[in-house]
Amino acid sequence: MDLSQYLEMFIDETKEHLQNLNDQVLVLEAEPDNIDTINEIFRAAHSLKGMAGTMGFKRMQRLTHDMENVFSKIREGKMSVTPDLVDIVFKCLDAIEEYLDCIINTSDEGENDNEEIIRMLNACLESDGAAPAEKPAEPEKAEQAEAPAQTSGAGDDKKKFLHIEIADFEKNAISEAKAKNLNVYGATVYVDENCILKAARAFLVFKGIEGIGEVIKSVPGVQDIEDERFDLDFSMLIISDKDIEQVKKVIADVSEIKEVVIENYEVPADAEVVSSVRETDNKSQKKKEDTKKTSTTKANAKPVANRSVRVDIEKLDVLMNLVSELIIAKNGLVSVSNSNRSDDNRADNKAATQSFNEQIEYLERVTTNLHESVMKVRMVPIESVVSRFPRMIRDLSKKLGKEMELIMTGEETELDRTVIDEIGDPLMHMLRNSADHGLESTIDRLKIGKPQVGTIQLNAYQDGNNVTIEVIDDGGGIDVEKVKQSAIKKGHITEEQAEMLSEKEAIDLLFRPAFSTAEKISDVSGRGVGLDVVKNKIEGLGGDVEVSTKLGEGTKFTVRLPLTLAIIQALMVEIREEKYAIPLNSIVTIEDILVSDIKYVQQKEVINLRGTVIPIVRLDEVLDCPPRDEDEENLVVVIVKKGDKQTGLVIDNLLGQQEIVIKPLGKYINIPKIISGATILGDGGVALIIDSNSLV
Amino acid sequence: MDENEILTEPKQYIVVKLDQEQYGIDISFIDNIVRMQRITRVPKVQSFFPGVINLRGEIIPVMSLRNRFGLEDKEYTNATRMIILKPENGAKIGVLVDEVREVVTLGEDSIEKATRDEQGMNLLGIGKYKDTLISLLNIQEIIQELDNA
Repeated sequence: MDLSQYLEMFIDETKEHLQNLNDQVLVLEAEPDNIDTINEIFRAAHSLKGMAGTMGFKRMQRLTHDMENVFSKIREGKMSVTPDLVDIVFKCLDAIEEYLDCIINTSDEGENDNEEIIRMLNACLESDGAAPAEKPAEPEKAEQAEAPAQTSGAGDDKKKFLHIEIADFEKNAISEAKAKNLNVYGATVYVDENCILKAARAFLVFKGIEGIGEVIKSVPGVQDIEDERFDLDFSMLIISDKDIEQVKKVIADVSEIKEVVIENYEVPADAEVVSSVRETDNKSQKKKEDTKKTSTTKANAKPVANRSVRVDIEKLDVLMNLVSELIIAKNGLVSVSNSNRSDDNRADNKAATQSFNEQIEYLERVTTNLHESVMKVRMVPIESVVSRFPRMIRDLSKKLGKEMELIMTGEETELDRTVIDEIGDPLMHMLRNSADHGLESTIDRLKIGKPQVGTIQLNAYQDGNNVTIEVIDDGGGIDVEKVKQSAIKKGHITEEQAEMLSEKEAIDLLFRPAFSTAEKISDVSGRGVGLDVVKNKIEGLGGDVEVSTKLGEGTKFTVRLPLTLAIIQALMVEIREEKYAIPLNSIVTIEDILVSDIKYVQQKEVINLRGTVIPIVRLDEVLDCPPRDEDEENLVVVIVKKGDKQTGLVIDNLLGQQEIVIKPLGKYINIPKIISGATILGDGGVALIIDSNSLV
Repeated sequence: MDENEILTEPKQYIVVKLDQEQYGIDISFIDNIVRMQRITRVPKVQSFFPGVINLRGEIIPVMSLRNRFGLEDKEYTNATRMIILKPENGAKIGVLVDEVREVVTLGEDSIEKATRDEQGMNLLGIGKYKDTLISLLNIQEIIQELDNA
């Protein structure tokens, strides 16, 4: 059977189950007796096993099966959760993840049998299971034992079709059929309990019967069966001209059908029907208990799972594009109205202008709302990234031999999808950094009277148009002097420079590329592993990183990210005949200065603005604009910042603030670093966006 | 051999002019032909890119075929057109030409394969149509060169 179309679904669901398992096992580690958690793990393992089986991933199925066995025993109280067991389960999860990665890349599970893990799982099963009870049969064996019992003891309760309540018209149909010499059969079909697509199997059964006869009644109803609202069996009444063996064969030929009970059907007397229905209720209840437990709890568990819609990112991009055009249209209207206002003063035009303005306001409101809602569709809770961190910290804790815990808040904070995809690695880096170098060893912590368990906090929250993520540890903090010494040793700075550095500037040294790659920094104060990478990535997303630290008390990394990347507020400026946009969030102030105020430091132009010396950049030169005809006395300077550094950009004219849609400049063309993109103006023209960060 | 196969079926070409010479562009690469519009200069890009334009909300780089072939600039006239090319699996790019003449259908027999020398100029071959000669541009190659640059 071709299962490739299900592969994507399988991968998605397996990922979800794995994440769920990881979370639950972490809980279990903290509370070994939590029965809800154990049940949840059992269910997830069971689903994984079933899914892997359906897709034909035998190794994965085997591993999950053994895992399920272990939890089945724990669930029955025949085994207790030990730290060793948790370790093995984690190894098991890693192995499943490996299978999954392999499947994603090659759509095959690979060759690794993971015998070791399976052996360990079974070892636990035996050693721990033997003690409390007198070697309980393995669940699978129990199942098998149950199965023959079911067939051999096939009493009336196996033939559930006998208890189908039939209405008068159905009775008529049956007697009519008999009059025509057709056979009427009652059948109960049992579906294999590992079957994943029960509804599909049932559908195949129905379809098969349609080829040779007719189904006049089914319990549960056809609709319910289609919606998979049945346990493991369904019954039906069939009219057919074929003999009983043929009908049975048609049904049994459908795969994953465990058993078919079929025989000739006679209309029962009414009284009998009612009583036997009651009877079945009792009997079947007992028998079904086991299966029901899984299916009903499954039904309960469904709404708990995050109800998510997976939307193709391409479709969203199209939607986004439409919105951007709307905004462009709005901008166009705005520019028309501006020009109207200036040359129309007559009274009769006044009313028209007013309604025109109202229209614009309306359009503005609509576009803003539309923009917001589309952005929301693109937003993903940060949870999808951070949910794997508790597990990571746990492993780090074991590996480093330090006790630590991770406290996360604000997992529901949402960020643009593109940002979410990129932010995982930098955050992981920072957490590792905090765990490895930030926190002191447990012994040291005890010595200085800190709580034995180190704490790392990961806080996320929205702050205006930004999302802030903080990584805070209560470790030793950064020793600025040591950082300086190390920087001098490595030749980043001279001793004189080191003395001039403020604490902040010194800490910024940690973000220098070579700083991290140089030998081991951990003996300095422990910072600097790949922090330059972190910084680059975050700045690439339009955000920034800040560090604050207190020696002996801990360190705080603050990452600020923009909520969205596609639409920004910008200052429109003119340089000669050309229009450019400067992102508003990087602008500090706009100043008028006299040319005579420009001073020179090392042949570079600077201005002294209220006590701060700021270098200035003549944008017309940087952008290769034609030279000005005559020198002006006054210059308009836009002061932009990057971190706490400032630079003045000399422009010709200010045009005002505008909401702009960032567009890529297209392929083929080699865009210089100072241009970060382009936008479309109200008049249809194109304005380039200046990346002020590259100029500071 | 490969080229033979490509050229077995008659293809349509759009004939454009640069000065007096006629060039043919395979119609399957063409997305659109638009009139001249304002081009926004982008600083520090390749010399044969006068800049970018806004084509219905999409920003598209525009290349001057004249500059690309080493001809000097010529003033834009009423006849100047931008041909928007959309290569398979590629992004759009605009090409500036002096004039767009007509659409012609050329079969294999009326095309003379490019000589080595002409290949340097990104030509597929020379097409003969009525009394005129049309240099058929190898659009794929022209765009590929940009990609690699």
